[in-house]
Amino acid sequence: MHGGAERDVMAVMPVACMPQTNRQTAAACRRAAGCLAMLALLGACEGRQAVLNPAGQDAAVIARLFLGMLTGAVILWLLVAGLFLYVTVFRVSHMPRRWAESLIVGGGVLFPTFVLAGLLSYSLPLMSSQRTGGDGLVVHVRGEQWWWRVTYETPQGNRAVSANEVRLPAGRRTEFRLTADKVIHSFWIPALGGKTDMIPGRETVMTLEPAETGLFRGQCAEFCGASHALMAFEVETMAPDLFDEWLRHAASDAVPPATEAARRGAGIFAAEGCGACHTVRGTPALGRVGPDLTHVGSRHSIGAALLPVTAADLALWVGRTGHLKPDVEMPQYDHLLPDALLDLGRYLEGLK
Amino acid sequence: MTDPARSHDATSPRPDEDRQAFAEASESLWRITFGPALWALHFAGSYGVAAIWCAKVAAKGQDIAPLRLGFAVVTLAVLAAIGWLGWRSWRQWDYLGDRDYENAGANHEDRHQFLGHAAFLLSIVSFVGVVYTGLPVVFVQACR
Repeated sequence: MHGGAERDVMAVMPVACMPQTNRQTAAACRRAAGCLAMLALLGACEGRQAVLNPAGQDAAVIARLFLGMLTGAVILWLLVAGLFLYVTVFRVSHMPRRWAESLIVGGGVLFPTFVLAGLLSYSLPLMSSQRTGGDGLVVHVRGEQWWWRVTYETPQGNRAVSANEVRLPAGRRTEFRLTADKVIHSFWIPALGGKTDMIPGRETVMTLEPAETGLFRGQCAEFCGASHALMAFEVETMAPDLFDEWLRHAASDAVPPATEAARRGAGIFAAEGCGACHTVRGTPALGRVGPDLTHVGSRHSIGAALLPVTAADLALWVGRTGHLKPDVEMPQYDHLLPDALLDLGRYLEGLK
Repeated sequence: MTDPARSHDATSPRPDEDRQAFAEASESLWRITFGPALWALHFAGSYGVAAIWCAKVAAKGQDIAPLRLGFAVVTLAVLAAIGWLGWRSWRQWDYLGDRDYENAGANHEDRHQFLGHAAFLLSIVSFVGVVYTGLPVVFVQACR
């Protein structure tokens, strides 16, 4: 779980700014830009949104490719810089023309040609391994401004609609069918694999095979408008049997409100017309404009990985939507009194 | 610089010999574009054919093996053609004949050898370009 809106805003900025509290981090960032750059480099090595900390087959392949390329680049750089130093500092003398020409043709033409051909031959087969078929489960994800519409489809044809969160069985390969509403987005879970564009009117396909269970973070990786940086999502990889159990629950209808406050909240939800845009299965709310809220209380975040799911944060979100997410389509219900907002929050929180 | 004694300027060529040399230079001026042109055609053709095949043929569940085989054949043919052009221009440059890599003189022989030299280098670039364009066909086994 994570601490709040500002913290998630920070999370899409340099990764180094993630741990500790905001104020400390902000102060540290101000102190020295060099320190920030270094922290950013270190921060990229760990955390739940890190390419270099792979938790899936596909991310491991990419991390290996990157480290191999980096090692090669460092070796080549040292060789070239060393050679340069050798001829300009340590052994300054006339070089026979034949040597100089061999160096240019050999080091400038032949060597790079063969190195690049080798790298191309090594990296191209990785592309097809990144596109192997899934084991059966298909997750349809549609990029909206600025959230994710997620539909799970089992091989038996059962469907479960969710939003702003992706759950996957670990050790199995899941197929993603990606598309977008109005503008291009890019679907990216750095710890699990590469990114794939989501294009309006087209369906792009990718597969991911998480290797371990855990909580990770995904992020839209293609600029898509004012709140692009706030378009993230939580990813939970689960043991396959737990996942199957969760998926059955996700396909079920919403639980009725259990407390008096939640019942009042349900009344406000209906009276304010929230159901025109949101679906809560098992109630008259059947809107499809915004995220499905049937089990919003059991998610790890609201507002596309913006806030944790507490009654207070849900109330904050409904009352100050536009402040929290600039240009968002959902109107903010700031005419509701704080108590009413909190009741609404309690109702939504109870939608486990 | 070339040895003036070797150049045609030192002697006085007959007009028809001049005309013939000009025709030859003009022909080899065309020829230096053939290598890069083949590379460009192969590149554009590869992308175009792959896109159309994947959208129209492979989308219906057809195998892409014929596409890869076709690519392989065309790529080898283009490489052979560029190799032949390179060989011709290497002969025209005549580097081993006179060990002369500076052909800056304003005379027929220097023009002749310079155009050979340029065509030879362009053939090498085009050859490598076609190899790199062709590699994905070897390694990428599906349309997506």
